[in-house]
Amino acid sequence: MTKEYAKNYKPIDLLAVAAAREVNDGDVVFAGTGLPMLAIALAQLTNAPEAACIYEAGSIDGRPIDLPTSVGDSRCAYQSSMAAGLTEAFYGQLHCGYVDLAFLGGAEIDKYGNVNTTVVGDYAAPSKRFTGSGGNPDINSLAKRTVFIMVQEKRRFKENVDYITSPGWRLPKWPSGEMVSRQEIYGKFFKGGPSAVITNMGVFRFDENGEIYLDTVHPGFTAEQVKENCLFDLNISRCKGETEPPTVQDIDLLYNTVDPEGIFLP
Amino acid sequence: MGKPQRISLKEAGNLIQDGDMLSFSGFTIWRRPMALIYELVRQGKKDLHLFEVNGGTHTEVLAGAGAVKMWESCWVGHELYGKLGEGIARGQVEGTILIEDYSHAQVVARLLAGAYGLPFFPTALSMGTDILNPKYDMLGKAGLRDGSNPKIPLKKYDTIQDPMYDMGELLLMPAANANWALVYASQVGDEGTVRVLGQTYVDQEVIKAADKVIVIAEEIVPDSYLRQEPEKNIAPGYAIDYVIECPWGAHPTGSQFFYDVDADFIRQFYAASKSKEAYDKWAAEWVFGVDSHEEYIQKLGVNRLENLRANSVLGYSTTMKRGSR
Repeated sequence: MTKEYAKNYKPIDLLAVAAAREVNDGDVVFAGTGLPMLAIALAQLTNAPEAACIYEAGSIDGRPIDLPTSVGDSRCAYQSSMAAGLTEAFYGQLHCGYVDLAFLGGAEIDKYGNVNTTVVGDYAAPSKRFTGSGGNPDINSLAKRTVFIMVQEKRRFKENVDYITSPGWRLPKWPSGEMVSRQEIYGKFFKGGPSAVITNMGVFRFDENGEIYLDTVHPGFTAEQVKENCLFDLNISRCKGETEPPTVQDIDLLYNTVDPEGIFLP
Repeated sequence: MGKPQRISLKEAGNLIQDGDMLSFSGFTIWRRPMALIYELVRQGKKDLHLFEVNGGTHTEVLAGAGAVKMWESCWVGHELYGKLGEGIARGQVEGTILIEDYSHAQVVARLLAGAYGLPFFPTALSMGTDILNPKYDMLGKAGLRDGSNPKIPLKKYDTIQDPMYDMGELLLMPAANANWALVYASQVGDEGTVRVLGQTYVDQEVIKAADKVIVIAEEIVPDSYLRQEPEKNIAPGYAIDYVIECPWGAHPTGSQFFYDVDADFIRQFYAASKSKEAYDKWAAEWVFGVDSHEEYIQKLGVNRLENLRANSVLGYSTTMKRGSR
């Protein structure tokens, strides 16, 4: 059967669809609030029906029939295999090694995939505070793959983030702060790391040195435009073309099955 | 030990001293002990030291009132209904609140150590981040790690080389034992057995880790009922010191199988939390403008509460409008 691609869709729809396609069937996915919820729900209806979802407030493999608005929502726990708590989610599931894929967000990112969700400016005297880490760095620490979903803005794609909230591929080793590889920091605990960043302009991946590159560009944009929206020198030499657009079925599922109430997709 | 004592909200507020270290039940905007939080603001508490995995509307009600001196946590906001913790953020930027950032699972590690009577708990989560940057040990920089405050550990964290299986370096997180756990629970037995419905969050660890525990209960039920299915309970009565029966006591946060999150109320509070003036105006109406929890509930009105009421099978409201469609 040939795929029928949607002619009209919004940038957020493509974000959700591109994220859903990162899920392999059978993955155990640890997801945050918002777009990650749309992505895992869509993946379970399309390419990954056997994927299981963990939310950090403690619902393990829930089967929500109504879209949750946050990870602590009662809706997350509907038909879950366990309605447990934070200790189970972070130590019983994550630390012990069950998690294949993390779906997370971020305010700023650098070319090694280090993400900031804590402050703007010097941490000791910041000009702005964001929400803080939440479970982002923990989930990203020991998931085999992490996908970040972000807004593409020049000021958010920086040479160095103001504060490393969530660990990428090159990290400070404390107390000296010397930058070393993620493998050196995590040693035998190492399981993987950031594998993709999906924005409203493209899909990025990481090379053998842990440096980010543009993998595909979304329809309507050029690789050069994406590069112009990064403060660091983005590698676009490996860009293999356009991101696959959403199908008619994807859009129908997103608006009529996943989020019929218009919570994240107004 | 023995059975917990039944007290009033005002009496519970009187037990908390300025400067005490507090921890809470719930998760962001779910099952927070809001009625007791309002009472603490009404009583003008100051210099509180909050320790929590994540903050939510309760944190911001306390921060806006100027009641918070220290906040050790990893996140604060109101989920979909308010993207930042404005009061905590303002406190950090203006230097009026001392903030110590950890990761979610590192705070859980601190509570696990506290709950199990251990001095520390190991974890390999969130290594290589600025959370561990020695420059950002804020309580240390403030000179508070000299042992004079028994609630503040001598180090923010330490590292150890695994001596057992040669796994390499990992982190040791110090125990956190708050003076008080302020807990909202779905059901409490007349002998004090505690049950929560839905996800358990970190409530059990918060209860065990604290020196004293105050529970506000949506309903008090016969202990014999809770003991028919003991596997659903999270704490025995002897672990609880004080109990208050307080229907709708978590509002505007949600309580699984009783009521949903009051999104409009939190949105309005979030808007008010963006400045001291707007917060004070909000508090004059919703905290100081009512003398008791009963008056607060009356002010909310039947229609508003009925809209939030959870479907008894699904555990959440199926009548409230949540999105644009």
